[in-house]
Amino acid sequence: MFLQTQGITKEFGKLRAVNNVTLEIKKGDIHAIIGPNGAGKSTYFNLVTGYHRATSGKVLFRDKEITNLPAYSRCNLGITRSFQITSIYPKLTVYESVLMGLLSHRKVTLNFFSSAKKFFKEEVWRILGDVGLADQANTLGDSISHGDKKRLELAITLGTEPELLCLDEPTCGMSPEETDIAMSLIKKFSEERGLTILFTEHDMSVVFSIAKRISVLHQGTLIADGSPQDVRNSEEVQKVYLGHAA
Amino acid sequence: MVQNPTEKEKSLSQRVWWLALLILISLIAPFVISEFYLAILCEALVMSLLALSFNLLFGYMGQLSFGQAAFYGLGGYAVAMLMTKAHLNFWLSLVAGILLPAIIGLIVGYFCVRLRGIYFAILTLAFGQLIFFIVFKWHNFTGGDDGIQGIFPPDFLKSPTAYYYFILIVFLLSSYVLWRIIHSPFGQTIVSMRENSERTEFLGINIARYQLIAFVIAAAFAGLAGAIWVPFYRSVAPSYLTWLKSGEPVMAAILGGPSLFFGPILGMFIMTFFHAWVLGFTVYWPVVMGALILAVIFFLPGGILGFIQEKVNQRKEIRNRE
Amino acid sequence: MSFDVLFNQFMSGIARAALLFLVASGLSLTFGVLRVLNFAHGSLYMLGAFISYSVWKFLLMPVLGFYIAAIVAALIMAGLGLIIEFVLLRRLYSRGWPEQLLATYAIVLMITDLVKWAWGGKFLSIQRPKPFTGAVFLFDFPFPSYNFFVIGLGLALVIFLWWLVYRTRLGDIIRAAASDREMVAALGIPIPWLFTWIFVLGSMIGGLSGAVTAPFGSVALGMDIEIIVECFAVVVIGGMGSLPGTLLGSFIVGQVYSFGIMFKPELALAFIFMVMAVVLIIRPWGIFGRPER
Repeated sequence: MFLQTQGITKEFGKLRAVNNVTLEIKKGDIHAIIGPNGAGKSTYFNLVTGYHRATSGKVLFRDKEITNLPAYSRCNLGITRSFQITSIYPKLTVYESVLMGLLSHRKVTLNFFSSAKKFFKEEVWRILGDVGLADQANTLGDSISHGDKKRLELAITLGTEPELLCLDEPTCGMSPEETDIAMSLIKKFSEERGLTILFTEHDMSVVFSIAKRISVLHQGTLIADGSPQDVRNSEEVQKVYLGHAA
Repeated sequence: MVQNPTEKEKSLSQRVWWLALLILISLIAPFVISEFYLAILCEALVMSLLALSFNLLFGYMGQLSFGQAAFYGLGGYAVAMLMTKAHLNFWLSLVAGILLPAIIGLIVGYFCVRLRGIYFAILTLAFGQLIFFIVFKWHNFTGGDDGIQGIFPPDFLKSPTAYYYFILIVFLLSSYVLWRIIHSPFGQTIVSMRENSERTEFLGINIARYQLIAFVIAAAFAGLAGAIWVPFYRSVAPSYLTWLKSGEPVMAAILGGPSLFFGPILGMFIMTFFHAWVLGFTVYWPVVMGALILAVIFFLPGGILGFIQEKVNQRKEIRNRE
Repeated sequence: MSFDVLFNQFMSGIARAALLFLVASGLSLTFGVLRVLNFAHGSLYMLGAFISYSVWKFLLMPVLGFYIAAIVAALIMAGLGLIIEFVLLRRLYSRGWPEQLLATYAIVLMITDLVKWAWGGKFLSIQRPKPFTGAVFLFDFPFPSYNFFVIGLGLALVIFLWWLVYRTRLGDIIRAAASDREMVAALGIPIPWLFTWIFVLGSMIGGLSGAVTAPFGSVALGMDIEIIVECFAVVVIGGMGSLPGTLLGSFIVGQVYSFGIMFKPELALAFIFMVMAVVLIIRPWGIFGRPER
């Protein structure tokens, strides 16, 4: 078992954003969560990654219950996420930003005397090379393009050497070329580093091109879950997206 | 902002020269200036250490602490009470002057880090006031309003010149330690927390825990500042712990520039001499301090060094474009 | 430890709570809408107290003197609030909270010296105004009737604020601005003027509460920081930016203070801190507050 949510529910006052969702994410998969606006994708995401605390239900990661674990603990267990609104370090350089992920993951952050810059040089350059940001290593985070910022955030998350990488709308705001690059990167990392990827997306072409499994949410409830083929053919899904069966 | 290697080396060696020059000046100071100015210089050094401790939390971690004076005062009181009442020796008292504020910092900090931003700031003020209040009211133990007098350094440090060198050594060592901490992985972590606390949290860092550690470190250095000042001044009083006193490192940091390591030092040196001058003709220092703070906020954001750095960067950018 | 004594202390606690609410509500209102924690609120309270003393001393009117002084103090503080907001704070809304907090801190410094220069370091008080000069007997214990005036004023303020925030258009705007400032501006509501008037209102309440506290005999330097610390405890315990929270927080702090004084006067402040510490551990966002996430 890799990641599982059992009957997970999140209520904001009277609004039930996520309703009793039981779902399993298999190790090594590229797993997409889709659904129309307001379906609860982001909230589900936030429940898995620890941004929100569930109203009821459980989240389990590798047989360990993590439902009440704070976000930083989940990251230390191997779950890292990116944010829909790109979350990077505006006034740190690209290099320093990626380094931070490594410093945290390799648990040297309580080192008070060594020079931070001396750590993990190889690993940082490798990650920068993999995402294609090596030439901008000394540029400040807020000086790079939007697409590059998304790549930077990806690079930062890779610094934590995660097992489960959760990407919240990774191609949001990207041009078609940037989207292609991002998608091939994600695919590459999944294969080369054995990463399990969970992501939410609006762009269906992206979803169907790389996802191995797709789960569909509608108004907080899980209405379909399976291979891209199964989901494409599901009447329920068609009704929700098209208003009628195709 | 790409720096090629030789440019970086140049600016580093430039800075080393400046540092060496300053240290040289500070070493010959006692032979050049009068005893009166030497005392002010001692005060500037001690308060600069306090300002550096404050800036660890403000410039580097992004949190405003309005209670640093409480730890400064606790360090001073620890030394004063241990030396006059328990007749403990100077060096052990100094250690206590670091440990007591650190422990109190751990307790106070534990509560303060549950909140951020404005709330953290006012909480530190509140706890600072509580500590002041306890010291002020506990007449039997701390002497209350009277304070404690008659604290003397060991014989070989009794002369102002000798004690000046002692303060200078402690200041240089402490600055070096703080510099190392800031440039260590821990320092990088707290800077990342300031830059984007949420991102850092989701990289596996327990924000509250690291803020607490930084808080304790800042309290320890603030305490050390108080601990080395009291034997020089020969007395300590509750006024060391007030919110007014807490404002001085704040003022120094924003005047000199919180984004650079030397900013608070520069700011505090200016302030200490300016304060001494102002006290010469008026007792109304707070209003001057308030006006200064407003002036810096509106006309010199980033402080003096921040302003200079911006100008330097602007010129570099123009040069790069040509 | 008879019932009468306890009841008396309880009522004292209510009076203290009323006073705290008077001060803290201004702070809470300003913070809820402007998102600025006005550090100088305590200074306006202190200045209001000193001004009301001087006006009262000047008027020498046995019955109306106090009330006129209180109103004058409130109006002068409203004016000062207008100046502070217009000249200083307005330019800082686009800056971060550190600059805003530091600016209000600078004002605290300046007002503290102003008070020191104008009134010296004395401890001043106003005589209890008629008809609240005597005491009322609760279960054989004398209870200063002025306390009832304070409690009444507190209640009046609660009702006024409740009406203002929940029953008027301005209140709708206030509540909307508290949750989504940009949206309100986009709807064409002049945010700058809204902010100014809220700040003026908060300052006026602050000044008035300073005048109200003067007959308790505690007008002195340092009351600015004292009250800001207590107000902050109120807000931490009751919940950030929430008027019901401020009410509950005032009640709790008032009672802790009152019973704390009864047990060990020097430790009253410490008791308040202990309650605050407990709240910070179990529910950092306050009883009626909402967690950030």
